[in-house]
Amino acid sequence: MGNMMEYIKMAFKNITANKGRSFLTMLGIIIGIASVIMVMSVGDGTANAMNSEVADLGTGQINVYCSDDSINAEAWITPEDLQAVRERIEGVDGATPNDGSSGSTVTGKGEFAVQLSGGTEDIQKSMNYNMKRGAYFTGADVEEGNRVCVITDNDAKRLFGSDDVVGMDIEVTINNITGSYRIVGVNQQKENSGFVSYTYEGMPVALEVPYTSFESFGWESDSFYSAVVFANDKASGEEVARDIIHLLETRHQCAGEDYYQIQSFQDMVAELNGMLAIVTTFISCVAAISLIVGGIGVMNIMLVSVTERTREIGIRKSLGAKTSSILMQFLAEAAILTIVGGIIGILLGLLGAAGACSLMSASMGSTIHPGIKASTILGATLFSCGIGVFFGIYPARKAAKLSPIEALRRN
Amino acid sequence: METLIKVLDMCKIYNPGENEVRALDHVSLEINRGEFVAIIGHSGSGKSTLMNMLGCLDVPTSGSYYLNGKDVSMMKDNQLSEIRNQEIGFIFQGFNLIANLNAIENVELPLIYRGIGKRERHRLAEEALKKVGLEKRMGHRPSEMSGGQQQRAAIARAIAAEPPVILADEPTGNLDSASTQEIMEILKGLHRAGRSVILITHDNEIAAQAKRVVRILDGRIVEDYYNSE
Ligand SMILES: Nc1ncnc2c1ncn2[C@@H]1O[C@H](COP(=O)(O)OP(=O)(O)OP(=O)(O)O)[C@@H](O)[C@H]1O
Ligand SMILES: [Mg+2]
Repeated sequence: MGNMMEYIKMAFKNITANKGRSFLTMLGIIIGIASVIMVMSVGDGTANAMNSEVADLGTGQINVYCSDDSINAEAWITPEDLQAVRERIEGVDGATPNDGSSGSTVTGKGEFAVQLSGGTEDIQKSMNYNMKRGAYFTGADVEEGNRVCVITDNDAKRLFGSDDVVGMDIEVTINNITGSYRIVGVNQQKENSGFVSYTYEGMPVALEVPYTSFESFGWESDSFYSAVVFANDKASGEEVARDIIHLLETRHQCAGEDYYQIQSFQDMVAELNGMLAIVTTFISCVAAISLIVGGIGVMNIMLVSVTERTREIGIRKSLGAKTSSILMQFLAEAAILTIVGGIIGILLGLLGAAGACSLMSASMGSTIHPGIKASTILGATLFSCGIGVFFGIYPARKAAKLSPIEALRRN
Repeated sequence: METLIKVLDMCKIYNPGENEVRALDHVSLEINRGEFVAIIGHSGSGKSTLMNMLGCLDVPTSGSYYLNGKDVSMMKDNQLSEIRNQEIGFIFQGFNLIANLNAIENVELPLIYRGIGKRERHRLAEEALKKVGLEKRMGHRPSEMSGGQQQRAAIARAIAAEPPVILADEPTGNLDSASTQEIMEILKGLHRAGRSVILITHDNEIAAQAKRVVRILDGRIVEDYYNSE
């Protein structure tokens, strides 16, 4: 074993003596490792890009809704519930009912469908809000049930041809009742990105309004089917969710009935990431199969090499090489072939990943950087080394076990 | 004289059973340190088989073999490798140099397996090649040398580690008469320098150049005499 360096040198000598063959032997490993690295880097890069875009949607957002079992309005969430959530649960920044209504409006530009989201002023905590003009409606507006609204700059342009609309009124018809909403703020419409779409063609005009304003259209606004709670960055979404359910169940005396369900944004992102990971793993497995085929190629060539070099093995044994010496020499050869192949494969894989990512970035309108993890590279190196040793053992043992006279007799 | 090789009642049977070949049939033989012995016999008489036994390349079917005081007949593969490395230098009829190594790398091989460091190894190999007159051919591969030169490189390889026994199986079998004489002179020189040389041949003229002749026939020793000076 102390002679390991010598065996490695011998192995190198033999590999370089048959350069063409050695390269062809490595090719299988190169292709296998390159494809695994490429798939994993592109997969991780896509996940990273997706996560950073989705993070903009507000990761601290927790959706609370009543399950179908809670048809009885007893259990529905009340403004007082939300007040309690806001005040009593640690890590909660805000809470708003998630009420909605749809209607239509007619302006000088034509007739438009309108989607109204009713909530409290806390809605502005949902996304990284960027008010362009005016200001968000206030707690007082909510309390008084004022018909005020916030509109996006895009929708303002659709309705009025300009986003300088603060102070203007929109006539909205809901349930055959027409009322006017005063525009108090204009926020900036986010642009669609590769993974997240904020707008689509024919989308209704979206207005954010105090939920209490629906009362003037004959709507009750004292209980809701669903609500949104905003947890701050430091809070653990899971803990906050548990506390919310506990609080609601206590307030509505329905512990253990599973009336309330929670879906946090983190859950959805995690689900999405999980799916992407499955896809990446699956493709990597397919690529890994090619690695095994590459390993069999190495074994095959090593077997040929053992047969060709039977006499050399006999000579070495007659000069005092032990079984372990021959084993080491041939194992080293297989390992070097696969490690060198692995390194070339890693480099090609990284190059390929960079290429694929820039192609994808260009076609999707997002920036995807290849996600290169040290663990991936280390894993690939160890894996190729493992393949070399695994598939090298059989030929190496075959060589090592040759009896010297048998080996010397052969030509 | 100190006994170097002691073979007692050795048999080697190939393919025991139906087609069995009794290649060595109750052979007993003693060789002292410093002797120059030729083992002579017809083709198929068992010379190479005996050489394989003496060289620890194979183990006898029965009988015992003491080499340099060690009982070799019961040794396992790895122990035999070690004995070959330390006690024996082989010279083969077909030279048996490794084709993609040059002369000095070939000569270094037994020293590598002995675990000798790079620098010392190089020095010993160079010295051995000088002894056989190949100092100008150290970087040449076997394919770049004549048969006689290749055999001299093989001799250098056999003597580099200074083993007590030099075993040569038909070392001149593939050579012309000039090269043959060259090789014989080297072997005689080794003997004069105090080494034990065992030479296997079917050629009476070559056997006549050794000090002692052991004749083998059908696996048995039939004659054992000393040449007169
Ligand atoms: N591996 C083997 N299996 C079976 N029989 C063998 C084997 N090796 C040698 N023999 C037989 O043993 C006998 C002795 O063979 P050996 O090679 O020792 O002869 P030799 O004296 O060296 O002949 P030559 O001068 O032709 O080299 C022969 O009959 C040969 O056929
Ligand atoms: Mg023979």
